[in-house]
Amino acid sequence: MLKLILARLVFMAAAGLLLLTFLFGLFHAIPGDPARLIAGDSAPEALVQSIRQAYGLDQPLMTQYTTYMGRVLHGDFGLSNFSRQPVLKIVMPRLLNTAKLAGWSMLLAMSLSLLLGSLSAMYWDRPLDRGITAFSLAGICTPIFVTGILGLYFFGVHLRWLPIGGMTSWKHYILPVLTLGLAQAAGFTRMVRACMIDALGRDFITTARAKGVPERVIVFKHGLRNALLPIITFFGLGLGHMLGGAAVAESIFNWPGLGRLMVDSILTRDLPLTQGCIFFFAMVFILVNLVVDLLYRWADPRIAHD
Amino acid sequence: MKSYAKMATAATLAASTLLPMSVRGEDAKPQMGGELVVTGQLDKTMFPGRNTDAGGMDVYLNACENLVEMAADRTIKPVLAKSWTMSDDLKTVTFHLNEGIQFHDGTPFNAEAVAFVFNEALAKKFLYVSLLEGLEKVVADSEYQVSFKLSKPSAALIPNLAYRTMCIFSPAAYKATGEEGLGSKIVGTGPFVMSEFAKGEYVLFKRNDKYWQKGKPYLDSIRILFVPEVTTRVAMLESGDVDRAQGVPDFDIPRLSGEDTLKVATIPSLQQNYVVINNLKKPLDDARVRQALNYAIDKAGIVKSVFAGTGATLSQAPTLTPGVFGFTDMREPGKDTIFAYDLDKAKDLLKQAGYDDRNGDKVLENAQGEPLSLKLWTRKAGKGEYQIAQLVQTFLEKLGIKTELTVLESATFSASLSLGPQEAKYDLALLAWTIPTADPDEPMMYMTHTKAWKPAGANRMFFSNPETDRLAEAAHAEPDTKKRAEYVRQWMAELLKQAPVIYLPTVNLTEAYRTYVHGAKYLPAGTYDATQAWIDKAAKEEQGISR
Repeated sequence: MLKLILARLVFMAAAGLLLLTFLFGLFHAIPGDPARLIAGDSAPEALVQSIRQAYGLDQPLMTQYTTYMGRVLHGDFGLSNFSRQPVLKIVMPRLLNTAKLAGWSMLLAMSLSLLLGSLSAMYWDRPLDRGITAFSLAGICTPIFVTGILGLYFFGVHLRWLPIGGMTSWKHYILPVLTLGLAQAAGFTRMVRACMIDALGRDFITTARAKGVPERVIVFKHGLRNALLPIITFFGLGLGHMLGGAAVAESIFNWPGLGRLMVDSILTRDLPLTQGCIFFFAMVFILVNLVVDLLYRWADPRIAHD
Repeated sequence: MKSYAKMATAATLAASTLLPMSVRGEDAKPQMGGELVVTGQLDKTMFPGRNTDAGGMDVYLNACENLVEMAADRTIKPVLAKSWTMSDDLKTVTFHLNEGIQFHDGTPFNAEAVAFVFNEALAKKFLYVSLLEGLEKVVADSEYQVSFKLSKPSAALIPNLAYRTMCIFSPAAYKATGEEGLGSKIVGTGPFVMSEFAKGEYVLFKRNDKYWQKGKPYLDSIRILFVPEVTTRVAMLESGDVDRAQGVPDFDIPRLSGEDTLKVATIPSLQQNYVVINNLKKPLDDARVRQALNYAIDKAGIVKSVFAGTGATLSQAPTLTPGVFGFTDMREPGKDTIFAYDLDKAKDLLKQAGYDDRNGDKVLENAQGEPLSLKLWTRKAGKGEYQIAQLVQTFLEKLGIKTELTVLESATFSASLSLGPQEAKYDLALLAWTIPTADPDEPMMYMTHTKAWKPAGANRMFFSNPETDRLAEAAHAEPDTKKRAEYVRQWMAELLKQAPVIYLPTVNLTEAYRTYVHGAKYLPAGTYDATQAWIDKAAKEEQGISR
């Protein structure tokens, strides 16, 4: 177990450095001059040149690369080109904000989909199943920016029950978490339903039923436990998907998260900031996968023995 | 010594139009207290030397003041400077400063501080240095007297000093924390002290109890929330989460205007859309062809379809917008805009230039039978730029010019439009220009002058005309406002003949705010000044807003 964690951490570091190298190359391959963007469209060349010098953008690419990587190895991700603040200082609180949004949304999506998916499988092809299927199909088909803006106008502007933007009180969490969580729950529910239908058709379930085990115990203890393996994988992947969706939700609900920051930094060619954002996104993703692997062992002890 | 204040007053008389602006509730008696919550945008640092965006100014103008300011009627009013005089050779401008003012960090505001800020701007090349052209150094003559030494006379210096980005920040704070420090905590002499800042979330300014103008400001605090998504901004205003939202979409205006609790204001900005014409490419080097392109565009149609009829104003003069010094209405009698839509005239001009539809395929060809085709570049940014570009393409095709429209991503577009005459690849490109200081010096010397060809300046057309260059230089050095205004008028008349660009409508700025907010100013440069604002508390309660 410890060996697995250690191996993963080494992999994380290597993947991170590789990613930074790739981003560095990519940023210099696409058109767009950061110094020009900082100075503004109509700035004179002399001014743009002085910015290039001040920010070290006039150095040969290799020098820029080695300086940057050297700093990163010491835990310094440099200064943002635009705000001139340390990247870590900008990224960390944003990462935490996104984690809060994604965490609560994930929790909602997981619990709701486990419940609805199981119910759907229990009442397979009955009106309840059809109702739940309709909900999940609608959820999968409707993009977040539609449900988000509709929710915002209905609950925020029309009824005035909920605040609209920001994240200052618990009430601010409701709309974004519901929007993001329900959208994710819709996809998860389909997956849980399929896995559960498969598990509930197995022989040991028939045996349990024959023994007179209550249906509730059959479904939620025996069925769910056996359906869990693919579901965990799917949840892990879903979190990655959610981080992408969070960028949209963050824009609509003015949530000061990492997704929005990343999109803005790419548009302004703020290389240090973009690298910081993507690096930490990737790290989170790798960590989540590690957790998924560890959960596998808990869900199916046979894997640990292998 | 001549009194510059007198000359500035004369400028008012010379300017034919007053600066349009939205000012409210000046008649009622201001109430003290309360927090004003508005939306804003701060993409860059908060340090004035490195952020000249309107959104950036909206933030730091609460804490940081200028020597002078430009009033609604375009006169220059003293702020930190009490008065100013000019030497006989017009090369030294001396300011007498108000005494007893302190920066928020407790250090004194004096001539040393002013000299430090501007000398540092020159040495470190702050983003606004191009507006200080000709300024050699700034010298503190005594505790409260400071002189600006110029290499040649510049009539634009004082109006430019009113530009919000040239505010006087605390040298002590700058020395202690640098640009980075002031970039997240601006320290000036202003009516509000910056107290909290969460990047990408909000910035909070609290009342400066030691403010030098007694009895001001009225508000306890101003909170600026950064809300980039416009739909969210409007929703927050409607729900009462904020008191004011900027950049309201044109198509939302009719709905919002119907609300009793909201006021919508639309003012013409200093930003004019235009199509860059690459004057070096054939046949665009021929003024008749450039004029034809201008006549072929239905500007009124653009205002109607892209801006819902209210989001833009038809241009009355080339490059300059109402409110800019020397602006004169240059329209032909009875026309609603310069180069009013006239397809026949456009065809006629092209015929004179040697282009006609010789084979009946509705595309114009030259004498050798080569079809006239142009490349038009645009980006998906700004207010409706992409839609305008599509319409321009349609109008040019109607004229018989094959037009290939290319949409570039913003950063790529900006880089491609910043190249010199040899490397530039565009025939036409849709852009917008702004005259933030409301002075014509920048458009004359920096946007259209031969010396300002990209990459040195902002002349992307590679336009060169000895007459406009001569008039620009004459106006740049002319201290007499009447004469200067006349040079500006002649310069505009010459531009109409030369048509270096395709002139398009001027964008309007739109804001919406709660009716209980009074005394705030929305200026044509796009800056929002709420330092003298106040809130009618009873009215706010009546609207059920209890923030």
